[in-house]
Amino acid sequence: MAPPVHMDLGDIQGDILRAYGNDYDHTTYAFVHIECPPAQARAWFSGVVDHVTTAEPWTGEKPLTTLNVSVTAAGLRALGVSDAVVGSFSKEFRSGMAARSVLLGDIGPSDPGTWEDGLGTGDVHVLLTINAQERKDHQRALGKMRDAMQKAGGISIVHQEDTEMLPGAREHFGYADGFAQPAVEGSSDARARGGGVPLKGGGWRPLAPGEFILGYPDEDTRADPKQRLPNAPAAPLGRSGTYMVWRKLYQDVARFRRVIRNAAELYEAGDEHLLSAKVVGRWTNGAPLVKYPTKPPADFDAKSEGANDFRYDKDSDGMRCPVGAHVRRSNPRDALGAVKGPGGKVTGFDGHLSFRHRMIRRGMPYGPPLPENVTKDDGTDRGLVFVSFQASISRQFEGVQVQWLNAGNIFGLGHDKDFILGDPDGKGKMTIQGKPPYFLTPQEVFVRTRGGEYLFMPGMSALAALADGTAG
Amino acid sequence: MPRAGLGNQTGQAYAFMAMTPVKPGEEAALEAYLHGLRGDGGPSPLAKLSRTHMARFVIVADFYNDKSWKQRKEEHLDLRYLIFTSNLDGDIETYLDELCEKLAPEAQEIWGRCVGCPANPKGQVLKHYLKHNQINTGIFFAAYQDATVPRVKHCLHQRERMIEFAVASQGLEPAALQQAFLHEFGGEA
Repeated sequence: MAPPVHMDLGDIQGDILRAYGNDYDHTTYAFVHIECPPAQARAWFSGVVDHVTTAEPWTGEKPLTTLNVSVTAAGLRALGVSDAVVGSFSKEFRSGMAARSVLLGDIGPSDPGTWEDGLGTGDVHVLLTINAQERKDHQRALGKMRDAMQKAGGISIVHQEDTEMLPGAREHFGYADGFAQPAVEGSSDARARGGGVPLKGGGWRPLAPGEFILGYPDEDTRADPKQRLPNAPAAPLGRSGTYMVWRKLYQDVARFRRVIRNAAELYEAGDEHLLSAKVVGRWTNGAPLVKYPTKPPADFDAKSEGANDFRYDKDSDGMRCPVGAHVRRSNPRDALGAVKGPGGKVTGFDGHLSFRHRMIRRGMPYGPPLPENVTKDDGTDRGLVFVSFQASISRQFEGVQVQWLNAGNIFGLGHDKDFILGDPDGKGKMTIQGKPPYFLTPQEVFVRTRGGEYLFMPGMSALAALADGTAG
Repeated sequence: MPRAGLGNQTGQAYAFMAMTPVKPGEEAALEAYLHGLRGDGGPSPLAKLSRTHMARFVIVADFYNDKSWKQRKEEHLDLRYLIFTSNLDGDIETYLDELCEKLAPEAQEIWGRCVGCPANPKGQVLKHYLKHNQINTGIFFAAYQDATVPRVKHCLHQRERMIEFAVASQGLEPAALQQAFLHEFGGEA
């Protein structure tokens, strides 16, 4: 039995293990380029690091603003980190998201050549994430950030993304979002029911912290009698840090509404709400279809304890929640490899084929909502800034994006891709199991990648080493 | 369902593997050549062998050593090794004949960089070289034990047709559905 994990919260940046919460409605992502020599850059960076908020619980009032810092591989070099140490980071991080575009399905209208200025070009060195409770605090923090850059010289913002929570914590297509997060041992054990690893017999357990935070045991090493830790960058950068994926995803809300509305004419007597729930696997208020297949409870609270306590063992054929529904693809829980045997008994791998592919997500919507029922595009830019934290970009983020969302084979769905996020190739569809099944078409491009970066969010002592020039 | 068999053969499927040491100094050129085989996004040259289910080249750089294993001393390969594996339909003799003829241009660039490969590697001399370096398979999981490549391709094509039909005919009344089905698939055995 592995010993209980004690997490050094003071060494881990905030908003990774626990979200800052809905009090912080405003988030700005400022992508910074360094043009000055490393020593000058470190002087500026040192001033930034002094204001970074950690994962330690707040004892008094919440701060009005928070600040977190991430770096790209180019950013590590710009701060004077040696090639040998940069080389100890994962290959995909060093390559950057744009270089992985074909693998990720960022092709056609999502090709990096179409991305917004500053993103995916190698210009981004540092990402500053500022959260604020009020707009005025937000503006003040941004002003301070710009002043510090101006004072330092040779530091500039190459891309800035301002995001704001939508009413009811919904994303633009109208679904409740962001409440289903992995339970992490030593940090959020209480969320294990529905957020952890499904166990035989109905129980759950939290995931090992090393799945998300480097320098801690992960699911592979937690039971290692020699107490070896998973691979991580060279010390001191390899402790308390996490890899961060940042993507700006444009959402074509009008198009999505039109397709669902038209397709519903042939589905279950025009039940548009049911059809849109089938696409995602949850009703718009977040209630899971597998538990509530005909209608959602009106008072469903997605954040309540046990709201995510469900599995797919009683629905292996997808009659309640389609096998290709977005949430079932993104986190198949016990569904992968499940086989229905004689007498309808389902056996399989429980969560063993999916629990190494979990991510902590901290997305935020950008742009104003399209008014309800409008099905004509208003030309406004809106969508989601997707943020995820994980110990391995390739195993977790890319594994989900490539194997689960952009392919159907692993679920026995042939060429079907995720209806919302999958690249449709102009001939996609979604199979909605039923008697008879329903084929949802046309699968159009509802989401386009507008830019993205692979980053590393160091621990506090690693940040200090980067600022001091002692990171190696 | 894939099934396992002992030895090189499972059902009608055959697992071939040849392991050849790479000539010192040729490692980078071989690696670059193999990487470039599909550089233009076109089909793999292995596609010229129509009986191939799956084939690949792997370069083994060295043994993996781990201090925690407390080995008496680390073990290393003297040379890098090229491993060629192929899962194929039917008889290995005629498959290698085909390979040695159709892949002759590539063979010079690939096995020509390996120790002991005859000059001008093609035909029977290449076949002899590959067979000399063959490693017998201990256990073989064949994805398609009985179905040949043409059979698999045909079934996939039929599946695509059926999906397209099912999508296109969605919502038709039974009589119209039957008529559409017969129109699309009628007369096929």
